[in-house]
Amino acid sequence: MNKIPLLKALRHDRWVRPFLKKYRWTLTLAIMLGILTFVCAGGLMFTAGYLISKCATMPFNILLVYVPIVLTRAFGIFRPVFHYAERLTSHNWVFKMTSMFRKKLYDSLEKDAVFFNSKYRIGDILGLLSEDVAHIQNLYLRTIFPMLVACGLYLIIVIALGALTPWMGLLMLILFGLIIFGIPVWSILVNGARQEQEKQATNRLYSDLTDNVMGITDWVLSGNSAKYIQRHDVDEKKLLSSQKSMHRFNNLRDFVLQMMILLIVISLVVWGSAHFGGHWGANWIAAFVLCVFPLDEALAGLPAAAQQTNVYTDSLNRLNSLPEPSTAVKKSPQINAPYQINVDNLSFKYSAKSKLIIDNLNLHIKPGEKLAILGRSGAGKSTLASLIRGDLKPTAGKITINNEETDQFGDQIADYIGVVHQSPYLFNTTVLNNIRLGNENATEDDVWDVLKRVGLEQKIRQLPEGLNTKIGEAGLIFSGGERHRLSLARILLKNVPIVILDEPTVGLDPLTEQQVIDTFMNELAGKTLIWITHHLQGIDAMNRVIFLENGKITMSGTPQELWKNNTHYQKLKKADQGL
Amino acid sequence: MIDRLLFTLKGSKQIMIKLVGFYVLQAFLIIGQAISLALLLTNLWSGHSLIHEWTWLATFIACFTGRHIINWLDTILLDNYARKTAQSLRQQLLAKLFKLGPQLVQQQGTGNIVTLTLDGISEVENYINLLFSKFVSMMIIPVMLLIVCFWLDWISGLVMLLVYPLIILFMIILGYAAKAKADRQYASFQVLSNHFIDSLRGIDTLKYFGLSKKYSKSIFRSSERFRKSTMSVIRVAMLSTFALDFFTTLSIAVLAVFLGLRLIDGRLLLFPALGILILAPEYFMPIRNFANDYHATLNGKNSFHAVEKILQEEVPPEPHVDIKQWQANSQLELQNVEFQYEHGSKLAPVNLHLHGFQKVGIVGMSGAGKTTLINLLGGFLQPTAGTIKIQGQSVKTLNIEDWQKQIIYIPQDPYIFDDTLRNNISFYTPDVSQEQVNQAVEIMGLTSLVAELPDGLDTMIGKGHRQLSGGQAQRIALARAFLDHSRRILILDEPTAHLDIETELELKERMIPIMKNHLVLFATHRLHWMKQMDYVVVMKHGQVIEQGTYDQLMAKPGYFTDLVFDRSKEEK
Repeated sequence: MNKIPLLKALRHDRWVRPFLKKYRWTLTLAIMLGILTFVCAGGLMFTAGYLISKCATMPFNILLVYVPIVLTRAFGIFRPVFHYAERLTSHNWVFKMTSMFRKKLYDSLEKDAVFFNSKYRIGDILGLLSEDVAHIQNLYLRTIFPMLVACGLYLIIVIALGALTPWMGLLMLILFGLIIFGIPVWSILVNGARQEQEKQATNRLYSDLTDNVMGITDWVLSGNSAKYIQRHDVDEKKLLSSQKSMHRFNNLRDFVLQMMILLIVISLVVWGSAHFGGHWGANWIAAFVLCVFPLDEALAGLPAAAQQTNVYTDSLNRLNSLPEPSTAVKKSPQINAPYQINVDNLSFKYSAKSKLIIDNLNLHIKPGEKLAILGRSGAGKSTLASLIRGDLKPTAGKITINNEETDQFGDQIADYIGVVHQSPYLFNTTVLNNIRLGNENATEDDVWDVLKRVGLEQKIRQLPEGLNTKIGEAGLIFSGGERHRLSLARILLKNVPIVILDEPTVGLDPLTEQQVIDTFMNELAGKTLIWITHHLQGIDAMNRVIFLENGKITMSGTPQELWKNNTHYQKLKKADQGL
Repeated sequence: MIDRLLFTLKGSKQIMIKLVGFYVLQAFLIIGQAISLALLLTNLWSGHSLIHEWTWLATFIACFTGRHIINWLDTILLDNYARKTAQSLRQQLLAKLFKLGPQLVQQQGTGNIVTLTLDGISEVENYINLLFSKFVSMMIIPVMLLIVCFWLDWISGLVMLLVYPLIILFMIILGYAAKAKADRQYASFQVLSNHFIDSLRGIDTLKYFGLSKKYSKSIFRSSERFRKSTMSVIRVAMLSTFALDFFTTLSIAVLAVFLGLRLIDGRLLLFPALGILILAPEYFMPIRNFANDYHATLNGKNSFHAVEKILQEEVPPEPHVDIKQWQANSQLELQNVEFQYEHGSKLAPVNLHLHGFQKVGIVGMSGAGKTTLINLLGGFLQPTAGTIKIQGQSVKTLNIEDWQKQIIYIPQDPYIFDDTLRNNISFYTPDVSQEQVNQAVEIMGLTSLVAELPDGLDTMIGKGHRQLSGGQAQRIALARAFLDHSRRILILDEPTAHLDIETELELKERMIPIMKNHLVLFATHRLHWMKQMDYVVVMKHGQVIEQGTYDQLMAKPGYFTDLVFDRSKEEK
């Protein structure tokens, strides 16, 4: 059994098994309905076969066939009813699971929320995770449920026939056992390696094609695109040949399965004629033989469903490797204005082996101070900001606000420090809800007030539904500068004493950038401001500028001092002004 | 019900004919299987022993086996056909993709294109497979079985004939009801299903506002809402399956009861009655299979149509003109060239005269039309009006292979292929020597990167591997330009917009020498570059509003001086 990947994956599973226990009764109901569906389907043919045979003996009174007539009709009506009920129940059950599933997934990811975008490259993980959810749904609906239903039927058949003739029960135990367990396991074992091969080939094609479509401009310009198409073709052929051999096996397997069913039919004919036959009016033979055929529907799909589990296993493993959601609620310290931030002998590295990102840094930020942090990409600016917000824990030294270490605050840090970062996310809901993230109790007047302050009042008033306009996916109705203004509006509504601006204006053209910076400076007056930037536009409004290089402060002073005394600063500043 | 477009596929007619043959054969075997089983059971019923009935048992076994062998064969046949068709569609799609180039990718998105090419076409394969087999079997098997049923007992045959249209009618009615309901739900559907992804995307923002824990409940609630509305649709959607099931099983039950009653009266014999009872489920089987797989094929149908749409797309005209290598005396002139985007924004008529190894800066705010102009000059977009004169020849577009073969194009994020550093550097010039690569590495300031990488130049870089910084990617792009001496047109689109000022200045030092002996088209909003340009084109709201040398433009107050001084006035 160790060779079946799904069973191995299920051993330490936190995503499928716990949910099977939840709503146990609905689950049992769904399985029971599934079994009843096939009992009715088989029963219909069974009673119909008996009824016809019995009638052919020309009973003198119709009452003698009254019970089979009623049963035939009842089975005929209840089969579709049970089937419908079973599908509704099982789908409902699976969707209920999915709700909890999504919540669990969200909770798992929430732990590292701040680093989510950088840690899991967003497109990848979202695609994968939503696919995984669908896979687990299918695992329940297409594999686990039908398997359990088949097991139920298996039990009924073996017991029923075994009670009549023990050796027949034994034979059915073997034949049906082969169909329900033998062939599926065979299928998993034989095709497992091919599926693995197919998956790798597909993944390779995927990443290769994505890579080259993204670089399509270069291919077109190089005039060599035929070369790539040829390469793709060769890779694809490899995939196709492994698919071909898989199909070939599947065809063989399905044929073998049908032959097993044929064996069951033959053995029933033989057994029936021996058990009931030999005299005129052997009514039960047709009944037993005919009831096998409807079972085909319950059995034929099992091997394919079992084999499909190889695909789901990856999803299961991926989900199981996500962190366990944290439940501990910490009590956060209470502090009052004014807020003094102290960074003392701070060092930080991501892991024991990696290099120091922040190297023994000291920094004291006075209440209301406006500090600019400059440096190349990779100099540790954003890491420093995460450390100040308490999202990362210092490797050595400490960061405090009013002598309380920032990583002790947990989610409460949001009451003291606000962040505007490079690509502010706008949720796919109304403008109002997006701004109210800052303060869920804010009135519409409050919202209009902050919109006016960030210079968006006009624009929003012109929108067809004003504050209730939906922001389309990715906030397409707002330009880069406007998105930053919206994000500022949230912060203003939140009214935090300390604001971190993490390269909020990157990629804007100079005029827009200057306008955005002006608004930021005016509206955030009086608050402590930590502004991370990679060029010098708008820098003169700051009280202090520090340059970060290799985790150390290499330059520090007011913009005016640096302009007077520091040649490197002068050079950068001139370039930035276009002079 | 069946997609006409399918019949335009190559070889579809032949495959249909072969399938018809197979299914006729299969129908005969199904009939043989039913008749022999009915005879066997009848004879056993009338007291014969099995030993005397072995011929019927053997016939049954032979027909049953034969039927599944035929099934096996036609699966292979269709599999091969579907696979070959899918393969050829994929080849056509790729060829078209690289023909239409970046424009198509921009329009459809990389993700969509890749998914369509790989998954989409696999779905098409499945679609072809399912639709052909289910459709043909539905057309043939029930008809032949019905004839036999009429022969066995015409009354039952009549019942079976009448039930069939009833089933189809109910399926259509219920199908429409479900569709209407699904359409109504669709809008709220989308919102709800996107809610989860939306929350994940914005999870860092939620955390910054201290709301992320609270949001977990909202995820659950909206997912539950989603479940309820989905269930209400499913309840109706599954009704059509229910109707199908209901009619088929009920009509089998009714047939059995009527057959029984007529047997009691002695108006019928056991053999035809059993024959009908065995054939009835087989008669309904094809339509049930068709209905079951119908929904599974919908994705395939959509993908098939999407693929066909791209394949039908027109390839932009490629003027047949002879373009020579760009020389110091070459000329390029835009005369009233316009461009109109489908969504409305446009580039007003541009007149521009470029010659020789000029360095041309294109400045303006974001959205001013810089990139559009660059794309027209690179031949990536086709002008909607105006004439272009290149080396003395008039053309409508610069989508000319000989022209594009001279271009080095460096965008804001040059694409780094998932390949070794060496192959990335020599992408345009695969045949350069080791010394040349080394030289490019040194001149572009990539030496420290090479030293840092575990396998030096042979280290894999790009998406799935080590990520490079924006500055490093630009250096690689410049190294490509440096190595390719045959390309004399250098097009730069905001190459430094997202770089920090120090890196930008370092890069500038490396870039200026490369620009020598090249026609340079440089779009940027970083104005310090303009001093190094021979000619400056200033754009605003899709129009070229000023052009001239840096000194000319600085000499008189205008939009360019606004751009330069407006932003620096604060610092003065």
